[in-house]
This record gives sequence, C-alpha cells and structure tokens, in this order.
Amino acid sequence: MSPDAKSETNIKKDQGVLYMGIDLGTSRTSVASSNGVRTTLSSHVGYPKDVVSRKLLGRDVLYGDEALEHRLSLKFFRPLAAGVLKQSQHKAEDVAGNLKAAADLLTEIIRLGKPRADELVYAVIGVPAQAAIHHKEAIVKAARESCDAVMLCSEPFAVAYGLDMLEDVLVVDIGAGTTDLCRMHGTMPEDSDQITTTYAGDYVDEKLADLVRKRYPKAQFTTRMIKEIKERHANVSDTSPAVVVDLPVDGKPTPFDITEDLRAACRSIAPPLVEGLSQLIATFDPEFQHRLKNRVLLAGGGSQIKGLDLAIEDEMRRRLGHGRVLRIEEPVYGGANGALKIAHDMPPEYWEKLK
Amino acid sequence: MPQFQTVRLSESTQGLFSAGDVERLMRAEFDRAGRHKFPLVVMLVAVDRLGQLQDLYGWESKDEILRAIVSMLRASLRDSDLLGLTQDDRILLVFPHTTPESAGLLARRLLTGSRKLRFDRDGRTLRISLSIGISHNRQTGDLSFETLVAVAEDGLTVADAAGGDRFVETELYQLYEKKRKAKARARETAGLSPEVPAPIVASVPPIEPARPDGPRLTPDDPIGQALLELLASQGFDGQKFVGIDPEAVANAIRRAQLDKVAKQIDTTRPATAEELLEKQEQIDTLERRIAKLTQILGLTEEELRRVALLKGVDFGLPSIYKSVQGLKGDESEFGRKKAMMLTILEANLALKRDLEAKDESPGETRT
Repeated sequence: MSPDAKSETNIKKDQGVLYMGIDLGTSRTSVASSNGVRTTLSSHVGYPKDVVSRKLLGRDVLYGDEALEHRLSLKFFRPLAAGVLKQSQHKAEDVAGNLKAAADLLTEIIRLGKPRADELVYAVIGVPAQAAIHHKEAIVKAARESCDAVMLCSEPFAVAYGLDMLEDVLVVDIGAGTTDLCRMHGTMPEDSDQITTTYAGDYVDEKLADLVRKRYPKAQFTTRMIKEIKERHANVSDTSPAVVVDLPVDGKPTPFDITEDLRAACRSIAPPLVEGLSQLIATFDPEFQHRLKNRVLLAGGGSQIKGLDLAIEDEMRRRLGHGRVLRIEEPVYGGANGALKIAHDMPPEYWEKLK
Repeated sequence: MPQFQTVRLSESTQGLFSAGDVERLMRAEFDRAGRHKFPLVVMLVAVDRLGQLQDLYGWESKDEILRAIVSMLRASLRDSDLLGLTQDDRILLVFPHTTPESAGLLARRLLTGSRKLRFDRDGRTLRISLSIGISHNRQTGDLSFETLVAVAEDGLTVADAAGGDRFVETELYQLYEKKRKAKARARETAGLSPEVPAPIVASVPPIEPARPDGPRLTPDDPIGQALLELLASQGFDGQKFVGIDPEAVANAIRRAQLDKVAKQIDTTRPATAEELLEKQEQIDTLERRIAKLTQILGLTEEELRRVALLKGVDFGLPSIYKSVQGLKGDESEFGRKKAMMLTILEANLALKRDLEAKDESPGETRT
C-alpha cells in the first residue's frame, strides 16, 4: 500500500467512529455519545423463563424497568452487584448468566447510543475505583462483543475529568453498590488515592428496611419498595417534610410515618464517608490538606439525597475542622459525561492500539 | 441624585410605597447602576417548605415566619437597599453598590441567621431554613432587570431542589436575556406593542394580627359603611359589628379567598398540580443543560463550516465532535491530560494482554 493510500485509509477509518462514555452502575447504566445522544437504563436484564413467558413477552431478552416489571416471568439478573460483575457465587451457571447479562446490557446501552451500522464504536467505561482485576477483565470481555475498542477507567476519576477538576479535589461518587472516594492532585490517581466502600445506596436501603421493620413489625414491604420510597423522599435535613407512606398490613394499605427512619438511614452514610475522606486527607501533603477539604465533589445517584452535602460538611467540621462540599449538577450523567470526555481526549493512535 | 429609602413591608401598608412603587424603585436603581457602572446584586429569598408548614400549622404560622424573616433581613439591609415581597411569598432584594463576592457573604449570613430562628407551634419547636438565588450586573453583554430576576429565580429553584438551606447563582444570564429578546422580537414582528413586564413585586405584607389599640369599624368609615349596608341587605343587624378592627375584616376576607383557591387546587386537581411541578423542574434542568450545550454546539458548528470550506470533505459528525471537543495542543492542561491518557492506555493495554494470554491458555488462572 502506498503512503498516500495508507493515509487515505486512516482518514476513512476515523470518519465513522462513534465515541461513547458509559457509566456501568449497579442500579443504572448511562451512556453519553459523541453524536449527542444521552440515555440511561436501569441495570436489570431478564430472559423469559419458559416458552409461555417467551410468547407472552414477545422477546428473548428484556432490559431495564421493563425487565423489572416482568421479573416474575423472567430469569432475572442484576449483573452488577457492588458495582462489579457478580462472580462471587460459586455456581458456574450464575457466573455465566451474569456475564451474559452484563454483555447484553452493554449491547443494549450501546444500541441506545444510536451508532450507525457503518461506524466503529470506541467506548470508555467507568468502573469502581478499586475493582479487582478479574472484574475488569470480565467487563472488557462483555464489552468487546459490541465495541470495536474499549477502555476502562476509574469512575470517580471520570467524574472529575469531565468537570476539568484535576487538582486538589476529593471526589465522592455515591452509587448503588459502592461509593468511590478519589483524591485528585494533578496526576492520574493511584491505588493509594482511591477508596471504595459499600456505604452506598443499597446500604441505605437495607438500613431503612431494618429501621422500618423494627418500628413497624407488621408492615409488609420489599427492598424494591423501600428503594422507591428512598428515591422519592430521601432527605437528611432537620426541617425535612414528613414522609408518610402506605404499606400493606395483612393486605390492607396502611399509612406509616417513616420520616425519622428515612432521615437516620440517609444520614448513616455520612460518618463512614467522612472517615474515608479523612484517610485521604490525612495522607496528603499537610501544606495542601486544606485545599482538599475545600473541594469535595459529591457525585453519583446517591448525591441526590437532599441535604447530604450539608450533612457531610457538618461531619467534616466535626472531625476535620472544616469542609466544603459541592454537588455535581447532573448526578446521573456525571460519570458518562466524564468517560466521553476521556474518549474524546484519547489520541486516535491510542485507540488504534486497543482495537 | 434621588435618595432611595429602604422600603419596608409595614410601610407599604401605610401607603408610603405601593407594589408598583417598590418595583419602579428597583428598576430605576438597576438602570442607574447601568448608567453609572456600579455593581448591583439581586437576591430572591424563599423560606424552605413554607407551604407545608402552612398546611400543618396554618396561615398564622406562615405569617409569623415571614415577619421574622423580614425583620432579620431588615437588620442586614442598608438604607439604600430595596426589599419587596412577591405574590408567591418570596422576598426580592436589590443591593446597589454591592459586588457578587459581598453578596455571597451576605447570603451566608442570612442562611446562618435563619437557622437560629425558632418558632413554637403545638408544643413543637419549628426550625426553618432559606433558599436564596443570586444574580448581579457584573456580566458581559446586555442585561435587563427581568433577566436578573429570572437568573435569581433560577438559582432559587436550584437551591430549593437541592434541599434548601443554601444560595445558588446559576449564571444563565445570556439564556434568559436571549429568551426575553426573542419574545420582544416576536411581538414586534406580530405588530404588537412592547410587552409591559409582568409585575414582579406584590408587596403584600404578612397579615398582621388584630391590633387591640388599632382603628375600629364605624358607619363613618367608607369600608364600615359598605360592610354595614351589605349586612343589612342580607338581613343582619350591622350595628353588632361596629367596633371591630377593619384590618381584621380585610384579613378574614383575604384568608377566605386564599383558602378557597388552596382548596380548589387541593381537591380538584391534586395529581395535575404535582405533575406540573415535576415537569417544570424537568424543564428547568433541561434548559440549564441546553444553555451549556449551546455554547459547545456553536463551536462545533463553526468548526464544521470551517472544515467543509477548507477540505470539502465530510468527516462524519461524531468525528467532528471529537476534533472540537477533544484535547488540543494549545490547551493549558495539554501535557498533564496527555500524560493521564497515556496512563489509562497503559493500564488498558496490560488488561488486554492478560485477556489475550488467558484466551490462549484458558486453563490457567491468575491470582
């Protein structure tokens, strides 16, 4: 091939590239594409249990809220437990099933990003800061089925990068399965700059369920119902409005005041998060610790808990003297936007190496 | 130069300043700030969850809270600062000769002050917090008073949606100014006269309780006379009402009217009202996002035109976006970001190599 022809081929290759940023979350998976499409999907996948349900549902696989709605007729997967692919159960069938569900979920979210049939898809996927190597490998494996080139990066780093906050920032990315804490100091964060904990959305749900169960033993509810209540009313403020919800008792909807329980459950994540922040601050250059305290960036779905930023500030004041927390404007798309920005900023020759 | 006085809510009831007066003063001050190029700040303040407190504890509690907030604000104002109450119980403040930085400090002081307020109701101690939206005239480009109020309102919405107890400046000046101009142009095109801006300040004071030593209703008083005639026409003995406080009568009528409206909203269309509010929040969020994206889109389109002119080729839309929004050599953080990209690449290459090795020898496991 002549140099000219080669150059021509290179230009042509670059013509049809769709860049994508994906935030693969336990609860929601979001995508932001370079064609302007942004969408989000709850991270659930279901396959009809039998021929009857297949005929009834009319499809081989259901995603998101639709899968959730029909979960009783489906072999149902929430493939991303604690922010990584579920592999801890030793049943080979579960591992394979979760891997397939994750691959299908990625395929679906990429389809929703609307790539043209004739263009390449290059994706950056945000993963928990301290995801184990085998989890990363599993995600890459799952993504390779629908992407021409894929890169993984730390979720909290993607959030900070997307906002151009590369220096003296502490990112708190509260997801459903995990909360990632990341210290940004102008270079790529290393393992010692990142902490992943499970004090996240699912933890709040469990805590709330426990509290409600203790206070109202007769009330009947599922984790899903508790999660919906939390998503609708979560608030940590002392002046928050009363939260009265209808829960069944022996089949009859009965009103319960869960204001205090909801507040306590939502607040319960603030101390452990500040504990993690303290670790990252205490191990930083003492001369610059105050800068970190002044720029704590709250991101992820969990940051939508009203007043959580102020609760974290209070806790920081108590433990660290002072603290200032900024909430990201778009909690659902913060990670995906950042991942897309990384995809854009990645030189084309770097992408070529991963094809 | 005219001397502006502080407009106090209680004064407005005594006829010193009407709602129109308050608003005219604010607009005049804004114009003067533009002419003499001094900084001016607009602040819109709302008590968090005031509606719910009113539902739980009644109109009197709401009034008491509003009065306390207004008193607190008064204590923080200078004589040249202006204050008015809007129809939806928000407080609009205009601070001439005030920089955005000072406004931030003032807002923090107000937030701290409001947290210290306590109200006793039904054996419970109520605490309140504020949401504050801020705007200022230290922006490039054309600005109008309506735009400043709209930006402050936007900030207030964001502050409230985030749980309250905070102040926000959204900086969407050009978005609202553009909207205002587009509306004006549309009216001009349609041959309509320029729109008279909707009143911003209502200047309705919190309802005062009946005053023991206040004026009394008498047949000599025009209101008293009208009321007595009305009662007589309905077959009541009007004389029994002589001596009651006319302000209390006015309060009762106003409260009844508002109660009626509130009941209509609550009983006839509760779901729709809630839905509308939710939709409005979504619209606000989307508008903010649109404003940010518009700037990027402008750059993108400019680049598209330039490329099309220079090369006469179609690079494909997604790739063009990369060329506009991607990393450029002249960016201040270029070196640092490139190094970060390299680190990400190296980590991913290592991952790829591991996977390839596993694919070649699937029996081996890595610990």
